[in-house]
Amino acid sequence: MKDDYLWDGSGEPDPEVQKLEKMLGRLRHDRPAPSFERVVEVPAKTRSRFLSFRLPFAFGAAAAILLATVTMILFLRSRPVPNLGPAWDVARLEGAPRVGSKAIRGNATIGKLGVGQTLETDDSSRAAITFDETGRVEVERSSRLRLVTNGPGHKRLSLERGTIRATIWAPPGEFVVDTPSAVAVDLGCVYTLHVDDSGAGLLRTTMGWVGFKLNGHESFIPAGAVCATRPKIGPGTPYFEEATPAFRDALGRFDFGENTAAERNSLLGIILLDARKSDILTLWHLLSRSNEAERPRVYDRLAALAPPPEGVTREGILRLDRQMLDSWWNSLGYGDVGLWRMFEHDWSKRPPGTR
Amino acid sequence: MERRVVTALPVSELQDDGALVSSAREGDRAAFGCLYDRYARMVHGILLCRVPPPEVDDLVQEVFLAALRQLHALRDVARFGAWLAVITRNRANDYYRKSGPEAALTEPVSEEQTEGRPHNPAEAQEAAMILAVVRTLPDAYSEPLILRLVEGLTGPEIAARTGLKHGSVRVNLCRGMQMLREKLNDRAKGAS
Repeated sequence: MKDDYLWDGSGEPDPEVQKLEKMLGRLRHDRPAPSFERVVEVPAKTRSRFLSFRLPFAFGAAAAILLATVTMILFLRSRPVPNLGPAWDVARLEGAPRVGSKAIRGNATIGKLGVGQTLETDDSSRAAITFDETGRVEVERSSRLRLVTNGPGHKRLSLERGTIRATIWAPPGEFVVDTPSAVAVDLGCVYTLHVDDSGAGLLRTTMGWVGFKLNGHESFIPAGAVCATRPKIGPGTPYFEEATPAFRDALGRFDFGENTAAERNSLLGIILLDARKSDILTLWHLLSRSNEAERPRVYDRLAALAPPPEGVTREGILRLDRQMLDSWWNSLGYGDVGLWRMFEHDWSKRPPGTR
Repeated sequence: MERRVVTALPVSELQDDGALVSSAREGDRAAFGCLYDRYARMVHGILLCRVPPPEVDDLVQEVFLAALRQLHALRDVARFGAWLAVITRNRANDYYRKSGPEAALTEPVSEEQTEGRPHNPAEAQEAAMILAVVRTLPDAYSEPLILRLVEGLTGPEIAARTGLKHGSVRVNLCRGMQMLREKLNDRAKGAS
């Protein structure tokens, strides 16, 4: 094949690729491995104050957990023991946010959010919670957020209402936020999640991408895209905000409206007519959200805007062949769906005892 | 047909990842050093796609230190490469969170980065220009292109290290190269 040289250096050399290799190869990584024996001691020293705080805290926390567990066994025998872990630091940004019944106010700028506890802000308070190796979550005004689990490699919050801004640096799939209408799974990113009083949500990804799932509906939301959710329905179809107003309006009604077949047909017509190159994200998702009669129209429009890669056929897509759908997604330039599949098993089931 | 492999790193060596990760978890720093040797170019390339070049070398060290600290959280040791790639992308995101948007991607390649290599200012400038053009491509294209053209990994090695499928890497390399040719041609036309 003509791209063999680009692929693995075999075949007829491509002079342009060779020139680029020569030019760019000068920037190649060429530093030997540091001595990790020595290197890991450095952060250990610089973090000694943190560790010296953490160890007594860990013993204290363990004692508190033991006491809490005994108390629960004695008084709440029928209740499951929650997965306790270290608390998250809560910083007051504004006003007097509350952790449980305790307000963080005045000079007390730092509180702790433990498993099962709720952080609540009113219309004049804001807070930020951080966990060293996971990330930072800013909690906006009029929000209610609960820490559900905090085990190693698995942090789970429940946003009952309000807005959070999450910046996550933990490996993907480790940080999960439940909402009344969908589960948001971080895949390495910065995002904003809003839940209104009815339980409807809106997720906006700023960097990286987020997965949204409920009731078998899954949405991948890359940077710059948004996705709405509705209780009992789950996530809608993600879209980029620069889509035309007619496109967005029709999409919202297509996803969440109680439409007759004729109305659905008409709404899909508007979506496909108004779809531009940047709307291929939406059209790909619509392939699996449309019915058998609608899907060929979606396929044709998507194929016109972003031709399917080799090995992906019309027939395969119309029967929703998972491998072909994934291959097409991977060719769209939004990242590899394998990332989602890799981590999917870690979060898809809510832990026992959570809603 | 004659087969020229771009790098001397056989894909088969990845078979030992699981054993190296397990040893590293038990405190074997030499095993972690082997993982560094194997994956440093991948980490370097992913960072080079996203952060200013002068910051890359330090961030490579930070990524490996973070990986060392979090190694206990890795569930599937065979997926070390994919896991490390994600930590790297997250660290790049975190770089912008901490430094703000003013940290420009177009920051020039530093002298230090080409230290020890034959120095030709015109070539260094052209390399920086080409790198800047590559970084204007979508991540899905710029990342494999940088791993291929800068770090010298072959397509199969990119797939093995990042945990992506061969087909995805091949398609993205191909499309990315096509877009890069177009952009470089446009630039050349604009200059003339």
